[in-house]
Amino acid sequence: MKNRGITTSKIKNNAPAIPVLVWVGFFAGVPLVFVLVISFLTRDSLGIIVLEFSTENYRRIFEPVYLKIFFNSFLLAGLTGVVTLVIGYPVAYITSKLKGRQRTLTIGLIMLPFWISSLLRTYGWRILLDYKGIINNILTGLGITNEPVTMLGTFAASLVGTAYMLIPFMIIAVFNSVDKLDRSLLEASYDLGAGKLKTFRNITLRLTLPGIAGGFTLVFIPALGLFFISDILGGGQTVYLGNKINELIGRGRNKPLAAAMSIAMVLFITLVIYIYTKVSKEEVGGLL
Amino acid sequence: MRISKFKVCVSLLLSALMLFSLTACAGNKKEEINLMTWADFIPREIISQFEEETGIKVNYKDVTSNEDMQELLTASPDQYDLAVVTDYMVEILRQNGNIGKLDKDKLPNFGNINPAFQSKYYDANNEYSIPYAVSTAFLLVNQKAVSELGADPIKSYADLWQEELKNNIVVIDWSVEIMGLVLKTLGYEYNETDPAKVAQARDKLLALRHNIVRFETNTPEDSLISGEAVAGFMYSNQALKGIAASNDLEAVFPAEGFPMYIDSFVMSAQSPNPEATYKFLNYVMSGEVSARISEITKFTNTNSKSAEFLSEDFLGNPILNMSAEVASRASFYINVDAVLDKYSQIYDEFKLK
Repeated sequence: MKNRGITTSKIKNNAPAIPVLVWVGFFAGVPLVFVLVISFLTRDSLGIIVLEFSTENYRRIFEPVYLKIFFNSFLLAGLTGVVTLVIGYPVAYITSKLKGRQRTLTIGLIMLPFWISSLLRTYGWRILLDYKGIINNILTGLGITNEPVTMLGTFAASLVGTAYMLIPFMIIAVFNSVDKLDRSLLEASYDLGAGKLKTFRNITLRLTLPGIAGGFTLVFIPALGLFFISDILGGGQTVYLGNKINELIGRGRNKPLAAAMSIAMVLFITLVIYIYTKVSKEEVGGLL
Repeated sequence: MRISKFKVCVSLLLSALMLFSLTACAGNKKEEINLMTWADFIPREIISQFEEETGIKVNYKDVTSNEDMQELLTASPDQYDLAVVTDYMVEILRQNGNIGKLDKDKLPNFGNINPAFQSKYYDANNEYSIPYAVSTAFLLVNQKAVSELGADPIKSYADLWQEELKNNIVVIDWSVEIMGLVLKTLGYEYNETDPAKVAQARDKLLALRHNIVRFETNTPEDSLISGEAVAGFMYSNQALKGIAASNDLEAVFPAEGFPMYIDSFVMSAQSPNPEATYKFLNYVMSGEVSARISEITKFTNTNSKSAEFLSEDFLGNPILNMSAEVASRASFYINVDAVLDKYSQIYDEFKLK
């Protein structure tokens, strides 16, 4: 009787969450179950999924070629995280110190690119980086190089494109935690004789670590899936998870293998999020 | 208490609404046909004119690949009437029962179709498909730039392996095409399954890696126009664009052979508007309409009655109208499903090298 009372009141309290849960359950949960089931099935020669249990797809992931694809993707995603952090952290820090209009304007400018199609923006980079593009025109025009430099079709071009696309996430995440920083702690640190660098390392950096971890997660995960950037800017020179899965679903006619690779990717991302929650909890918990 | 009950009610209502919004769909019964193929593959002006003349509305769905069309025809066969797919996909759709036999009595213009593009392996008796456009893939070369690099002129695939061409070749980004190129270079047929020959092709392919500057399926001709690459393996419509943009570029039909693609109309087995669909098919098979389509899309014409409506330029173009000698070297990619997995893996290894 008592227990029932608690459950009904629990349901009542959480009622506003029900639509969200139904929504998420329907649009994220059900498809994920589909993907999981398909990953254990096989397909016929015409690409039609056949109801026949198999773990072959998971075994194939461990073939050297596919392991290399995983490694490649994580390298790109990890480096994207590092690049966006190095550029995004100072931007977020300075933005948080701005006041009033300047601050609103800066945040507005950071978010502005989201109003334009990401595909369009990627093609914009192509105009800049092309062999006969704007940057090469400037370089050869000023006589810095004699021949245009091949920039498109390189790993660096993919990295630039992915980092550019995702940097707002990093800035906003770091901004939120820098903004909440209790400035009196900084003053206390200075009063106790710490220099600027030491204060930054011991106070600012530590207190904003959850923001950094959050930003890193927000950048790392989508970076694994932005296959069109490596196609458009990377010149298809290497293979990433996103491209491979995209190919297997379409012309590769192997949805079960694509599903298995997706599940492996989801597992890895879960691990990243687990580490993130650990990091952010420990830091916050340790300080409060 | 009241509020929380209210809250529960509202949230349940919202949940229900969200689920119902998924199934909302409306239908009306005006004469129309649902067509799908690549964007602009059938020119807008042709479709508008058909709509004006017949009052039948054409709903054109853009897709990006044959596999997308297979997916749509499998998932909702009663939503589509017509698709234009490539040769090998006709075979797959036929085997899976996605497409139906055409009623020739309703297609008086069927006789206009050039027999040279009919009776192919995927539809030996011409029951399921109507050839719409023909294309090929071959090499587009800037011979001047090739000699500036100190390399010999490119006349065949084998010439692509010259060391001087490092980082100077662009290719279509697809395993079957590139493995096909290598197999032809070695004197084998497309989609070879013999493990020894495939292994030999793999080694040969890996040796080409350093020469590839870009893998590009959509606009490979741009790399040649900009000077980033001196040679490229690409589709005929792309090569034509390149040649139109730069006088330095020329088409090379490799001595070893090259692929040919026939894109054909196929009708869904559960076509909801067959009568209107036949009217449309008959319309595009008239010599005059067919000629206009070819002039716009720059694909080889498949209609025997179109010559009188085609321009001199079109008829004299060696890419769109290959000589018998050149045409004899063209062949189809058949049996793709038998090699896809293996080739794809070799291709990944090639790219990751």
